[in-house]
Amino acid sequence: MVIYGSNDHMENIIFELKDVHFSYLGKFPALGGVDIKINQGQKISVIGANGTGKSTFLQILDAIIFADQGSVSFCNEQLNEKLFDNEEFSRNFRRKVGFIFQNPDVQLFCPTVKEDIVFGPLQLGFAKEQIQKRLDKLIDALGIQDLLNRPPYQLSIGEKRKVAIASTLIIEPEILILDEPTAGLDPLTTRHIIDLLIQENINGRTIITSTHDLHIVEEISDLVYVFGHQRKIVKSGLAGDILNDTALLTENNLVHIHSHKHKDKTHIHPHLHLDHHGENH
Amino acid sequence: MKNSNFIQRSVIAAPAFLKEIIFSEEIALRSGFLQSLDPRIKSLTFLLLIIQVLLSQSISVLSFFYALCLFLAVISKVKLGFFLKRTWIFIPLFSLFIAIPAVFTLGPAAVSVFVVRVLTCVSYAVLLSITTRHFELLRVLRIFKIPQIFVMTLEMCYRYIYLFVEIIEQTYQAVKSRVGVLAHYKSGQRIAAWNIASLWNRSVKLNEDVYQAMLSRGYHGEAVAWNDFKIKTRDWLWLSTVVMIIWKI
Repeated sequence: MVIYGSNDHMENIIFELKDVHFSYLGKFPALGGVDIKINQGQKISVIGANGTGKSTFLQILDAIIFADQGSVSFCNEQLNEKLFDNEEFSRNFRRKVGFIFQNPDVQLFCPTVKEDIVFGPLQLGFAKEQIQKRLDKLIDALGIQDLLNRPPYQLSIGEKRKVAIASTLIIEPEILILDEPTAGLDPLTTRHIIDLLIQENINGRTIITSTHDLHIVEEISDLVYVFGHQRKIVKSGLAGDILNDTALLTENNLVHIHSHKHKDKTHIHPHLHLDHHGENH
Repeated sequence: MKNSNFIQRSVIAAPAFLKEIIFSEEIALRSGFLQSLDPRIKSLTFLLLIIQVLLSQSISVLSFFYALCLFLAVISKVKLGFFLKRTWIFIPLFSLFIAIPAVFTLGPAAVSVFVVRVLTCVSYAVLLSITTRHFELLRVLRIFKIPQIFVMTLEMCYRYIYLFVEIIEQTYQAVKSRVGVLAHYKSGQRIAAWNIASLWNRSVKLNEDVYQAMLSRGYHGEAVAWNDFKIKTRDWLWLSTVVMIIWKI
């Protein structure tokens, strides 16, 4: 299989996974041999049906779980659980890699929004003045000034998602990993988050996103990796090429058969969620 | 059917009660006197007042402290009716029942002192809790040198109880939408047992996920906390006043 990479960053491989396998409790397979190279500064998307191992893959990249088999390297260093016992390595890794969880309720565990946002930099040893400066900048950029003293459970899903993003962005990681960042959001909030990701990539961050939302894929990715039912990457390529491969998308449950009426006639066709409805007929 | 209604009422009422009692911070957000104080100074002064009440033997001193508590409630925009209802149920009433037999051995004066002392202590404790946001109260524990990990665990319990309360409500609605309201009480008990088991499983899963989220943001076994409390002139004045009152009495 061809592994694509942006020509500008071919030399700077940040993550390299070789034949990575993972199973939960040793009996529920989640990844079945994943090979991938991710270059610095790229923006990539991981797409696939439910249960194909996308979230597990992202968690392995963030080193919160470790592969049962195969190798994972980060900037040419093999990642394993023991390595994270070294406080200096762990701190450097966490400063460089930020992960935004699919469920914001998992990520927002502090009593107030403000404490949640500053949790990461406090643990990573940033100076208080620096944290305050970054906090002020972020609350302006995300428009969350009014939420700061509220408890996370009082927020809407869109607000929680913004706060979860802020709690990771405040660390200013070089690599941003996002698990379904637009799931359950209204179109305006989705747009806001896409714009933010594009801007962060322009600023030099590597963006790795898992999503089902095919209509955002082209904007947030140079490269797309498709996870198949065998829980490994079945194809990778430029966003445009992957999204135009209807057979591939159908085979991997990423399109659905859509039925609707135009005046008196009923149309039945695959629905890709790529463009406006009328343009796709 | 009565039994089934009992389960139904409990399932609806318990989360609503929790939400109202624990999570409603409406009074703590009002702009009253106690709400304007630094939570550390407020907690410290209330602790001093409670200790003083515990040590007092005189009914007139105890009455003075109870009157002071009611005065503080009024200037903190707490409605007296609501406050008296909150403070008179349970503990003072129980203490009254417990103390009644002592009337014959220790005499009515000693019993009055005991009941007023319990009532005053409970009143101060309730007043502190309703005029302070709960996360601030938890943070105050840090000034008493309670280990950070312990405070953080309490904070997380508080934060996630709300999530579980919501899950209980939603699960009940989901069950109701499928079986209707007329479940036999035995099925009701079975459903309640399943819910408890399911909630336990969810909490275990959430526990793992939250720990991963903490690791992901640099947690390494010893949490560092943000402290942005600020002590103002008003706080020092209040502290001096309380110390003077206690000194004089």
